[in-house]
Amino acid sequence: MKFLCVPCDEQMQTQTDGIMPAEAKNISLKFKCPKCNHTIAMLTNQFETEFVSKIGVELGGQSAVGSGPLSMVGSQLAQGKEELKQTVMKDEDFEWTEEAKVRIGRVPFFVRNMAKKTVIGFARERGIKVIDAKLMDEVREKVGM
Amino acid sequence: MKTYHDLAGDGGSNIIAQVVSQREKLRSRLDKIKHKISLMSGKGGVGKSSITANMAACLADRGYRVGILDADLNGPSIGHLLGVGNDRKLTIDENGVAPGVGAMGIKFMSMDMLLPTPDSPVMWTEEAGGTAAWVSTMESTALRELLMDTQWGELDYLLIDMPPGSDRIDNVRDLIPELEGVVEITIPSPVSQHIVSKSITKNSKMGVPIIGLVENMATYVCPHCEQEGKLFEGEDVRKLAQSKEIPFIGKIPFDTRISRKTASGTLFYAENKESVTGKAIAAAVDNILKFIDKNSKR
Repeated sequence: MKFLCVPCDEQMQTQTDGIMPAEAKNISLKFKCPKCNHTIAMLTNQFETEFVSKIGVELGGQSAVGSGPLSMVGSQLAQGKEELKQTVMKDEDFEWTEEAKVRIGRVPFFVRNMAKKTVIGFARERGIKVIDAKLMDEVREKVGM
Repeated sequence: MKTYHDLAGDGGSNIIAQVVSQREKLRSRLDKIKHKISLMSGKGGVGKSSITANMAACLADRGYRVGILDADLNGPSIGHLLGVGNDRKLTIDENGVAPGVGAMGIKFMSMDMLLPTPDSPVMWTEEAGGTAAWVSTMESTALRELLMDTQWGELDYLLIDMPPGSDRIDNVRDLIPELEGVVEITIPSPVSQHIVSKSITKNSKMGVPIIGLVENMATYVCPHCEQEGKLFEGEDVRKLAQSKEIPFIGKIPFDTRISRKTASGTLFYAENKESVTGKAIAAAVDNILKFIDKNSKR
């Protein structure tokens, strides 16, 4: 699927601060025209969201985190071992508390990269170096993730 | 106005490249495994997993490096058969997940290894209103991940223990185009033969090489005196093989020692290869190896 800004005749670009409701049932993806900066949101229904979650790709581009072993199984099994839920945080500028790591690890892998970037962007704007559960609650409240 | 084909890429997600990358990762994992064989049956309960585990033991006994992929996602049993409990801690790093290692050094990967308790089911959602529409897609992706993300290392043989039925073979063929072939397993009962004949027909039509048909529980072996007796009434399975024009590659008796040994974590074949049943397993393996010698490109 591709999006075109009709007035500019330019391809719209996926924005990595797309939003994902906590219950992970409906993806909202933002696209922006690089010429006029007009932004639109693609809102998917439950079936479309489920389909994307099962083909093993990441929206907003592949990340080292999301492409890890057993990504789909780890994030989609209702009852899985804890080891499956762990995720490696590679952004050395920020320290993630254990609770924050577990929480970001629970975000479905196909939008985890976007979620991580959203949290980091939020922390960077506020000059915060340690990402904890409280900060993630704030992000959720502000951007709906 | 520009059309779909005028737009390069998909706006940032690069889905095609991700799919290509998955394929490359899978290929680099599979290239280290010389021969891949699926073991399947039409009907459940014919002893397919026990035969798979004991054939793997026979191959390992001959010095081959062997792995088993438990493709029965909802009824995984290979870990149990190889004597590895589901409480084993998972070791995952950026290179993949370490396989379980069972009796005789046989490596395996199974959904059971990923579940928190022995009685945990494979559930993709715990919501009562969860949709079943995408379960098949989910299972296909799960199978790819189990195959692609397991650190199999160098193997001579990877045996794929399939679930009952013939639907999963489409998935396996897509993932492993170089599959050497399938071993079909049935018991003598008319119902089992009826169902396995559908599996054979499907594989023949799809051009999947059929290594041959194994008759399990062909007779009953007394564990004390090793005398054999008839267990099931039914048509001779050889006739089914002849009518389908596939090789009949083995006749394995029902032997109560198989289940006793596997329950204690020791594979039957390892300690009973000179028994009637052990020799029957070895004879079927001989036929599989002959097929591979004759047909394999590797």
